[in-house]
Parts: sequence; C-alpha cells; structure tokens
Amino acid sequence: MARFLIQRLLAAILTIFVTTVAVSMLIHLVPGDPVQIMYAQSQGTTPEQLEAVRERLGLNDPLYQQYLSYVGRLLQGDLGVTIRGEQPVLELLLLRLPNTLILASSALLIASAIGLSFGFLAAYKRGTWLDTTLMTTAILGVSMPHFWLGLILLFYFAVHLGWFPVAGSGFPNLVLPAVTLGLTNAAIIARLTRSSMIDIFDQDFVRTAHAKGLPKAMVLYRHALRAGLVPIVTMMGLQFTYMMGGAIVVENVFGWNGVGRMAIQAIFQRDYPLIQGFILMFAIVVVLVSILMDVIYAFLDPRIRH
Amino acid sequence: MNDVAETEHTVPAADSRETVLSVQDLSTEFRGKKGSVRAVDGMSFDLKKGEILSIVGESGSGKSVTSLSIMGLLPYPTGHIAEGRILFEGRDLATLSDREMRKLRGAGLSMIFQEPLTSLNPVLSIGRQMTEGIIQHLGLSREEAKKRAIEMMRRVSIPAPEARLKDYPHQYSGGMLQRIMIAISMSCDPRILIADEPTTALDVTIQAQILELMRNLRDRTGASIVLITHDMGVVAEMADRVIVMYCGRKVEEGRVDRIFARPKHPYTLGLLRSLPVLGHAGPVGSAELAEIPGVVPSLDALPPGCRFSDRCRFATDRCRAENPPFEEAEPGHFTACWHSEKLEPLA
Amino acid sequence: MQQRVKSAIDIAAAAGSGAPARVGFGRRMVAVLGAATANRGAKVGLVLVGILIVVAVFAPWIAPYGSDQMGAGMGLMPPSADYWFGTDEFGRDVFSRVVYGARLTIQVGVIAVGISLTVGTLMGLIAGYAGGWVERILMRLVDVVFSFTETLIALAAVAVLGPSLTNAMIAVGIAAIPFYARVAYSVTLVERNKAYFDAAYVAGAGHLRLIFIHLLPNILPPLIVVATLGVSSAVLAAAGLSFLGLGAQPPSPEWGAMLSAGRDYFTQASWIMIYPGLAIMVTVLAFNLLGDGIREALDPRQKAK
Repeated sequence: MARFLIQRLLAAILTIFVTTVAVSMLIHLVPGDPVQIMYAQSQGTTPEQLEAVRERLGLNDPLYQQYLSYVGRLLQGDLGVTIRGEQPVLELLLLRLPNTLILASSALLIASAIGLSFGFLAAYKRGTWLDTTLMTTAILGVSMPHFWLGLILLFYFAVHLGWFPVAGSGFPNLVLPAVTLGLTNAAIIARLTRSSMIDIFDQDFVRTAHAKGLPKAMVLYRHALRAGLVPIVTMMGLQFTYMMGGAIVVENVFGWNGVGRMAIQAIFQRDYPLIQGFILMFAIVVVLVSILMDVIYAFLDPRIRH
Repeated sequence: MNDVAETEHTVPAADSRETVLSVQDLSTEFRGKKGSVRAVDGMSFDLKKGEILSIVGESGSGKSVTSLSIMGLLPYPTGHIAEGRILFEGRDLATLSDREMRKLRGAGLSMIFQEPLTSLNPVLSIGRQMTEGIIQHLGLSREEAKKRAIEMMRRVSIPAPEARLKDYPHQYSGGMLQRIMIAISMSCDPRILIADEPTTALDVTIQAQILELMRNLRDRTGASIVLITHDMGVVAEMADRVIVMYCGRKVEEGRVDRIFARPKHPYTLGLLRSLPVLGHAGPVGSAELAEIPGVVPSLDALPPGCRFSDRCRFATDRCRAENPPFEEAEPGHFTACWHSEKLEPLA
Repeated sequence: MQQRVKSAIDIAAAAGSGAPARVGFGRRMVAVLGAATANRGAKVGLVLVGILIVVAVFAPWIAPYGSDQMGAGMGLMPPSADYWFGTDEFGRDVFSRVVYGARLTIQVGVIAVGISLTVGTLMGLIAGYAGGWVERILMRLVDVVFSFTETLIALAAVAVLGPSLTNAMIAVGIAAIPFYARVAYSVTLVERNKAYFDAAYVAGAGHLRLIFIHLLPNILPPLIVVATLGVSSAVLAAAGLSFLGLGAQPPSPEWGAMLSAGRDYFTQASWIMIYPGLAIMVTVLAFNLLGDGIREALDPRQKAK
C-alpha cells in the first residue's frame, strides 16, 4: 500500500509542478501585449505606467527566472495582487473558496444519493420497464445543459413560487444551485453506477454467493455492492472535480459568491494574476481530492492494501 | 484403457443405491432477441448416493446449463426451465420458490466453478467467504463457524489455515483457491456437489490433486458428485457413470468402462479419439476437436434429424431426416444413434 | 472521465477490429451505424442528427425571417402560428434564430472536435509509435492535463485568447485534446503490434512512412467514430462558454448566447430562453443516444449474448 500511495503522491507533485509551469507562463501565451490588454479597460494609463507594471510582474526577465521567482513567491504564500484594485489574490480566493467547496460538496451529496441508488436499482432491475424509465431519464439528464436547468429552476422556484431567495449566499440560496449541479451529475453517476454494477452482477463471485444460498440482500450488499464500491469511489473523486468545474457555471447562474464567479469576472477583466491564482488553486483542490480518493481506494481494495 | 477403467472403477451395482437426484425430461430455454432457444432439451438422469456422474460435451452442449438449472442459478430473466422435473429429497426443485431454493443451495446441493480466482469475491477475506454460508445454513455463531471453516480448510490440505483465513483471494494460488472453493462447497455437508469444469483452469499437476481431493471427500462423506467436463481424461479418472451431451440432448449414457471400451455414439467416439493419450488426464483442445470435423451448430440453426448428422462420418439420409430415439443398446448402456451397431469397440 | 476514455477505447477497438488493414472505412461506418440502429434510442439519435444537419444546411429556406431581423414582429410576442417560438425583446423571430443557430452549433462541433482530434491523434500516435521517454513524457503530460476538468482547461484557454465564438471553439477543442490523445495512443499500441506494421518495419520503411502511411490510415477510422460521439460534449461546453459571455457575443444567434440574453426577460417571455435551451438539449441528446447505440452495438459482451 505504501508503494501505491508514494506513487500517487509523486504523480500529484508532478501535476502541481506542471501546473505551476503552465500558470506562470500563461501570460506569455496571450496574443499581443498582455499588459496592454490587461489595462485596456482602464483609462488613461501611460506607457510609463505600463512599463512599470511589466517590471513589477517581472515580464522582462528571462523565462526561467520568471518561473523561479514565481515559485519563490508561491512558497511564501504570495500569489500577487489583482490588476483591478490591487488586492492580494490569495486572500480573495480563500475568502470565496469555502462557498465553492460547500456548493460542490452539497451537489455531490445530492448527486450520489440519487445517482447511486437509481443506478443500482436500474442495474438490479435490468431490462425491465423501471430500468428503461430510469435510464431514459438519465440520458435526458446528461444531455441537459446545467445553466439552462439552473435558470428554469431559478425562475420557477425562486421568482415564480418565491420559495427561495433569488440571490445571496445563505443556506436557502444554496438549495437551488446544489440541486441544479446535483441533478445533472446524478444522471452521470446513475449511468456509470448502472454499467459498473451490471459488470459486477455478471461476475462469477456473485454467482458463487448465490450458489452458497446466501439471502438475496446479502448477495447484493455484501458481495456485489462491496465489490462495486471500488470503481464507484474512484468515480466519485472525478465527479467532485466535475462539480468544481460545473460550479463555475452554476455560480454565475445563481449569483453564488464562489471562486467560479470571481474567475469569470477575472477573465472578462483580463485580470491575469487572479486567473493564474484561480487555476493554481483549482489544480491543488483537484490534486488533494485525488489523493484522498487514492487513500480510500487503497483502503477499500485488499489487492492494494496488502 | 479398457483394463484401467475396469480395475479402477469398482462400481457397486448401481441399482442397489438410493437415488438422491432425479432429473426428468428437463428442458431449459433462453429468451433472446430472435425468440427462445432451447439449450437443454429433454434431459433425464438419476444420480445415486455416493456416485460420481460425469456429464461430458463441448461448450454449447448444454452441460453447464443443466447444472445451473438444477441449482436454480440460471441467468435472470433470460433463462428459465420450460419443462420437466428435478426431484431432490422428495421435492421438485423446478417449482420451489426463490427462498426455498436458497435454503437448499450450499446446504443440500452445492456447486463449484471453473475459475477459482473469479469465483471468489476479491474484496472479502477468505474467512468471511468461508463462514458466511456456514452461519447461514448451520446457524452457528461466528466463532463456531470459524472453527468449522478451519477444520474444512485442513480437510482440503490448506497449510496454516488459522493464518490464511484473514487473507484475500489474490494472496492464494489458483490450486489453493479451488481447494477453498471445495471446502466452502462441502462445509455444510451437501448431499450433492456439482463441479462445473473444476480443473480446466488449473495446471495439470494441480488438476490431479484437486480430483483426488474430490474423490476422497466423496468417499468420506458419501456425497454424490456431478462432474461437468469436456475432458475425457478427467472422466476416465473420476467418473462411475457418464452422460455425453450434444446440442442440448443426451446422446449416450452408461458406465464409464463401457463407454470407454465400446462407445455407441460417433460423437463419443470422436471425443475419445481426441484424447492426446487415451486415458491420460490432459486437456482436450476446446475450440475444434481433431477427430470431429466442423463445430457445434448454433442452437438457433440446428440441423433437422440427428443434431450431430452434419459432423458425423456415419451419417445417412435417415440421420438427416429423423431424430434417433435414445434407447438401450446394451444392458445399462444407452445411445441415440441409428448406426450404433456400426461402431467398432476401441482396442 | 476515466470511464469515458475506457468506453471510447472500447468503441475504437471494436470499430477498428474485424476489418483487414486499410479497407473500407465507409463500409465499416455503414455497418456500425446499421448495427447501432437496431437500438431504438440510436435510431432516434440518428434521425435527430439528420434533422439538425438538414436544418443547418437549409436554414435560409426554413427560417421565415432573418436571424438578426429586428421588428420581424412586435417585441416579446408569445409563440403563435406566425412566430412559432415567439419573438424576443427586439421583435426578432426566435424560431428563425434557433434555426440559424444550428449552423453555429454544427460549426462548433466540427471545428472543436476537429482540433482535438487532429492534435490528440498526433500526440497519441507519436507517443505510441516512439515509445521510450517520448511516450512516457507525452502520456504523463496528457494524464496531468487530463486530471483537470475540460471546463477549467477551456476557461484557461479563453482567458488567454479572449472571449469570442472562434476562441471558444478553439478552447473547447484544446480542452478535449488529452481525451483524444489517450484514445489514439491506445489504438496505436494495438495497431503497431499487427503483422502489417512489422512487415513494413522489416521492409525498411522510415519513421514518417510508418507513422503516416501505415499507422495513421488504420487508427483514423475508429477515432472518427469516437469523435462523432465527442460532438455532444463539445456542443455543451461551447454553449456553456457562450452562456457565460465568453463565447459568441450578441447579436449572434448562438444558442448559449441567446439563452443568456433571454434570462433578463424570463418572467415576461420565458420562450426566449426555453427554446434555445431545448435546442441545445436535443442536439446533445441526439449525439448521446447515437453514442450509446454505437457503444452497445460494438460491445463484445453484448455480441456474445
């Protein structure tokens, strides 16, 4: 197990390394002069001021030096300041990150509760009308753009019925975005769960469990579900990263004050330090989640545990 | 071969023993996209106490489906028993409810499969998988069940059973896992053990050990064994009586010595001729038998008349038109062939 | 995502196998589609894709009004016999706009998938052909990029390029490169173990010849099948970017952008938002249904039964 985890840890470090390289070089990929683009929206910036910014961002240094000083500042927790307002990027991100994490986790909770149970049920009742109904719903669900579903839910439940506030960041505001994100992903989870459980139901060891005369529930839960959990947990980790990605869009529909909404504003404003910080932060969250999933995975699968 | 079979298989007069399982006119069908196919068609046999009955045939002959029908393990919802009775201890298994069947499986009847590695759950410990059936059927406590599991592991010669209970399937070798499977299947004293190709996935040396183990267990417990195999070598080593199946039907049935000495069906003859060294336990090439041209026809495209007619070198127009009845050719030796008298005894 | 790759690789393997090297992609495609359409869902998907293409091609004849024709009717008129999907705040016919939007959607699908397919195939092909450290570095890199969601990669790309529909297409295309690279890589590994490759190698064919004359024509057909199925996620992602204002800009009749503009009028005129959303959903659904059907038709386990 230690060897497996060390391998995964090395992979994680590599991911972070590649991300820092990509993020620090991002600004040089911008077609045209990035500094001019950044300040295009602010009036009356003189060429001298632009040159000062260029100097401050170290854009005149050789690339390797830029990278090294970027990592150096990173290690001190310095992600730079925003172009607009000159606020520290790290602080801004950390202020909003919890909101995004809460949204993504609640959505994951909803998605798993619905997706796992429906997927399991469809696999168990495979070929019946129930399976067909559930899977038809699921394919509609995966095809539904979540920004559209979000708007419909928002206007129906918040505007029309007035059950939820239209904007804000309290618990009642969490419900609709979490449901929006949860429902579309529930459909994905249901489809994956169904196919992975069908694979499991076809396994020889399930037949063996039946041949032993175990009660049906024991075959289903102890044998099939236990074995099915391993691929499903792996899938959950990936789902969480999807939720983080989906949150970017959904936050904008509902005005949920998370990092996604801030990131989109940053892109509009061409606020590159903030965009860079956002991408790096996202990468770190993805890496942390995948490490967590690897640990759970190693714990669940005896083939790795031993 | 003849001598070997006659000396090794000292079979008591079959009729004197009690019948533990009686399959009568069993037909099993599978529903598919193009309608139903009959994988087993009118199968009948009696299994005596302590007897080892071998059902032989290529894949697709219906031998495995027969065993799954008996165990009530047909794939749901496609497979089902269309006709016939399966009498076990005075009850017809074909009509039992799911719940009643579960009480019998693993207790009265148990089964082992071809692939020991995939037949055990990779994420549960061997101990768990050994004890759960014992707890279920014998109503023992966890501790008592563990003791029984250890005893069973000793019986199948697993070294250091106490320590190995905690291990998982991937920590065992294939041969050891098949021993575990046998231990599990025997742990609730079944009257019948159905073994579906139990040695096919194993090395030849391990095969012999597993077969000997099964024979010893039979001698010790008096359980009957239905041994499903495509390997005539295994049959020669193990069986008292043989049923040869082809395309869902019995084509020949009799005592093992008779069948090996004087096969009455061209298909059986072909199977025997395909043995690398007659009487030696070795795997037969499964895809295509050297002695029998062609392959098993698909169940939805069976030839009219005798189902073996398009691969048979004795086939005549009658064979292609009329299905031969399953009849006694010699006392206790049955076959379904119009030309059984033309077959020469094997030297 | 891992599952998506796995299933895509299965599809590619199945679509690539069976036929001898370099023979009849067209016939194979027809066979695959034929087998797939035994599936009811796939039939529906195929019909819907057909309708989408017809609508896109014949948009000027189908649409009663121009896509930007203001005052085609009064502002915010509900759906009626004259204005099937109603009119928007400028009195533009929503139906006509949705019809013209189909053109942009097809464009997005073709360009975005084209980019990811081309670059991904080259990466996978080179990694699979070269082996050694080239393989390790390329595929490791693909894995790393892959661990982020496509949304993030697309956002980063738009952030660099700046918002516009073209840039959104490019961004979505870039985001899916790792996906195609992985599929191409695994297909290449299969192909280079086949006899024809060994024969060409032994005959002394050079690197370029081996890659482009021998491997590429053989890995391309299955990849194109996979790419067809990838259209659904590309369309969805591009519409999302436009919705956020990072893709198509008003007055473009791009469905995501229309939806975004329509949200301000939802309470008075929900149709402005409902129909473009429905159009996105039906398009994505069509490709998903087709994909499921092809997957099922090619699934070796299904065939065995």
